[in-house]
Amino acid sequence: MSYDYHEPHSLDDALALLTRFGDDGHLMAGGTATVLLMRQGLLRPAHVVSLRTIDGLSGIARTPQGGLRIGAMATHRAVERSDAARGYSPALVDAFASVATVRIRNQATVGGNLAHADPAQDPPPMLAALNATITVRSPRGERTEAVETLAVDHFTTSLSHDEVITSVLLPPILPGTREVYLKFLPQTADDYATVSVAATLRFADDATVADVRIVLGAVGPTTIRAKRVEDALRGARPTPERIRDAAALVRDEVDPLDDLRGSADYKREMARVWTERALAALTR
Amino acid sequence: MKFTHTATVAASRDRVWAKLMDIPAAARCVPGVASVRAAGSDKYLGTLAVQVGPVRLVLDGDLVVTARDEKAGTASVKADAKDSRVGGAIRATMALHLSEKEDETELRIATDLAVMGRIGEFGQAVIKRKADQLMQDFADCLARQVMR
Ligand SMILES: Cc1cc2nc3c(=O)[nH]c(=O)nc-3n(C[C@H](O)[C@H](O)[C@H](O)COP(=O)(O)OP(=O)(O)OC[C@H]3O[C@@H](n4cnc5c(N)ncnc54)[C@H](O)[C@@H]3O)c2cc1C
Repeated sequence: MSYDYHEPHSLDDALALLTRFGDDGHLMAGGTATVLLMRQGLLRPAHVVSLRTIDGLSGIARTPQGGLRIGAMATHRAVERSDAARGYSPALVDAFASVATVRIRNQATVGGNLAHADPAQDPPPMLAALNATITVRSPRGERTEAVETLAVDHFTTSLSHDEVITSVLLPPILPGTREVYLKFLPQTADDYATVSVAATLRFADDATVADVRIVLGAVGPTTIRAKRVEDALRGARPTPERIRDAAALVRDEVDPLDDLRGSADYKREMARVWTERALAALTR
Repeated sequence: MKFTHTATVAASRDRVWAKLMDIPAAARCVPGVASVRAAGSDKYLGTLAVQVGPVRLVLDGDLVVTARDEKAGTASVKADAKDSRVGGAIRATMALHLSEKEDETELRIATDLAVMGRIGEFGQAVIKRKADQLMQDFADCLARQVMR
């Protein structure tokens, strides 16, 4: 396997290289996913364009409005250890801290995570539940996209080959909101999720649910937003019975595959169980 | 890996049969197929490009009609293709069955797919989903073309 490795010092230079190489070029951030695909022989780029020598892409800071901005080149470990991230949402930190092992988290970046688009990854459901958007640069300019709609299929996003994620923006969290990330790991502690559930819930003054967002990982070709479960709870008092009934609706929203982590039926059932647990944790 | 796909076409069985047995035209209904050409009786050569995330497979191979029975509305097709760059191959056998129901025809395709070499690294689940999409798109496209 031989390829040319490029280390541009600005985003514009990186974009120019990607444009020049077209299908022969491949972007690399932490390299944890890309190097694996190259070792397996599935990916054989003639040119690898690294983002690591570009300054200014790895900051993590609160926004003046009370949100959080994470640079695309921030590592998982940096998010996990960031006071700004923890101050914004401990559940977000939990999601990043759930990824693989410390060695992977030291290397893997937030942008690489989102672009890799394996539906079993941990951060994407939590970012989507928190209504995060990404900023994307290309030779055509800048655009934003919701994390919720970024992945379109297994390992496939709406990004074209000359688009680079530069940052992730999380909006301010309204007062009264609770968040949780649960990862079901029946096998080993550093495995991918069998099912994961990220949820946020905000109570109104009268103790009814003012708003709720539930996003599941590992149970479909992309992360799955459980809209029917959300609708069954919004405006209602979240009693244990109502939570149980609402969580049962998730079985028809997920679309899992049989694999070594379990049958599709088993995962459907686990999606129900873990959705109920997430909602119970948020309303306790 | 086994799958079954069906599509209903608002046309007579004869018309669907004719369409199906025009292999180069029918093959163009598979998304990613390029350059199908005849290579002897009931044998065709062609290329199929499949994209899975950042990975692009270019499967080169042949397709052989191993059996056909117009009266019964059944045919068997075998496809062998390999990607020499990635290093992997697929073999698919497909049993096609047409049945007329009032003024519609049901097309049923039972596929048995084997994946060899590096392509298997994607995992059975992802391959199955991809193959599933491809065959369903084929069945739907064929249905649309016959109705035209
Ligand atoms: C052993 C192992 C275990 C793992 N376990 C887990 C787990 O439990 N949970 C989990 O969530 N994940 C897990 N992962 C996946 C891990 O999260 C991803 O590999 C990682 O996040 C990818 O980030 P990276 O910076 O290394 O990306 P790279 O490998 O550099 O890139 C990945 C893809 O994203 C593209 N890309 C990178 N950066 C950008 C950008 N800024 N803009 C546009 N495209 C970009 C690249 O071109 C490439 O296609 C695991 C990975 C490994 C190797």
